[in-house]
Amino acid sequence: MTTAKRIRAILVNNYSLNPDDLTPDARLDDLGIDSLGMAELLFTIEDEFSVVLASEPIDLATFADVVELIDGLLAGKSEGAMAEQNSHPAARPLVVTSDGAQLAS
Amino acid sequence: MRRVAVTGIGVVCPLGRSADEVFETARAGRSAVHKLAFPGSHRLLAPLAATVQFDAAEHFDPARLRLLDRVSHFAVVAAERAFADAACELTPAERERAGVFVGTAMGGSQSTDDAYQTLYGEQSNRIKPMQILQGMYNAPAAWIGIQHGLLGPNLTYSTACSSSGVAIGEAWLRIAHGMLDVAIAGGSEAPLSLGSLKGWEAMHTQANVDAADPATSCKPFSKNRSGMVLGEGAALVVLEPWERALARGATIHGELIGYGLSTDVGHITRPGVDGQAAAISAALASAGISADEIDAINAHGTGTQANDSVETAAIKRVFGARAVRIPISATKAIHGHLLGATGALEFVLSLLALKNNLALPTMHLQIPDPECDLDYVPNVARVGAAGRTMLSNSFAFGGTNAVLALRAA
Repeated sequence: MTTAKRIRAILVNNYSLNPDDLTPDARLDDLGIDSLGMAELLFTIEDEFSVVLASEPIDLATFADVVELIDGLLAGKSEGAMAEQNSHPAARPLVVTSDGAQLAS
Repeated sequence: MRRVAVTGIGVVCPLGRSADEVFETARAGRSAVHKLAFPGSHRLLAPLAATVQFDAAEHFDPARLRLLDRVSHFAVVAAERAFADAACELTPAERERAGVFVGTAMGGSQSTDDAYQTLYGEQSNRIKPMQILQGMYNAPAAWIGIQHGLLGPNLTYSTACSSSGVAIGEAWLRIAHGMLDVAIAGGSEAPLSLGSLKGWEAMHTQANVDAADPATSCKPFSKNRSGMVLGEGAALVVLEPWERALARGATIHGELIGYGLSTDVGHITRPGVDGQAAAISAALASAGISADEIDAINAHGTGTQANDSVETAAIKRVFGARAVRIPISATKAIHGHLLGATGALEFVLSLLALKNNLALPTMHLQIPDPECDLDYVPNVARVGAAGRTMLSNSFAFGGTNAVLALRAA
């Protein structure tokens, strides 16, 4: 299953979203994913893909942004990301979400 | 001072889902206490509790469901039921003068327990992002405020077992003094995690399992009482000025007429006659009534040796020779001790007892105790015995004693 399909499944199952609304340019805040939802979504995605997100801020506005981030991580292309679980808490992500809130580790 | 009416009742509790159900269960003396069976419950010496039949998924969408601890699930649903019962639509201006007053002794303890299991038990460094929001003590009040757009004070009281008596009393003060026009007040508690249960067990306050019938394990005022049984749930009431309730044609369940507070400073857990008597007297004084006007009492009545004899002595101190003629109900025998929500549930039961002029029974009172020699309405409800005016007692670890005085509408 592609990254997009797996993330789409998470969004549909965990946030009761309509799959038809999950176009690549769909904005996460328009889908009702606020800063708290984003923190939870990223936690779930880390589990799903066995990755740990980097500690620097990440601006994720759209569905495509999330897919691109994870594809990048999986390809080992994303700077500052480590593909191991249970890293030290200092490596937890600092995320700037589409509603402007900053979630620090 | 303005008179304060209770116009809405909302419950999520071991005795039922509505005021009518709760009253009928309490009147019949049907105990909700049972043996617990969950992973880990075999590690408890006395795996007992009064639980709520409640599926949160029926009330919340999946995202909201995960964001709230069980204590907030209870509180939000009880608040919805209370506002629905009050049939009270608030205008934007009214919402600015509406407040939330919630008692809880243990907050989101289940979520905290789960997080510690992940961190220490599973040695994982990853805790769910919502743990703090689930566990924080003011979450139940906050979610009620968010859900109903209530813009006035949003306050959480944590005074152990008197938390929701305090919450209701503090709301009463603000409405009586004209600071607010609507309050939702009460308590919520979800204390049945393994960590919490083991903590209470270590205090040696928990009842032994009655081998013949576990449902009867909590025996307030009975000589063979061995302790309390924990319960869970929420009870919330809508309070508003009497004149406002009349003007909008609301159904008035009863009147909150007084609130007394005192503090025991002798010991962190041991109850004191002086403090309990002082709180009862303070409630009478704030209501502007004499002890002779009290027709019945809902006791704190936990079923511990210490509480029940001390509470008996405190009632005698205040009411003198008349104490033996006052019907006293200890309903924890059947709904368990809801800790931070128990005062609110017992306030609701007192309202319903007055409304129906029926003294609720103290169940499982099997053996008279010379140190508990008052009229506890043993085992059978008494029609016509609640009268017009009651007290509802809540006493707590930490020493905060809270007594509410209420009158039939």
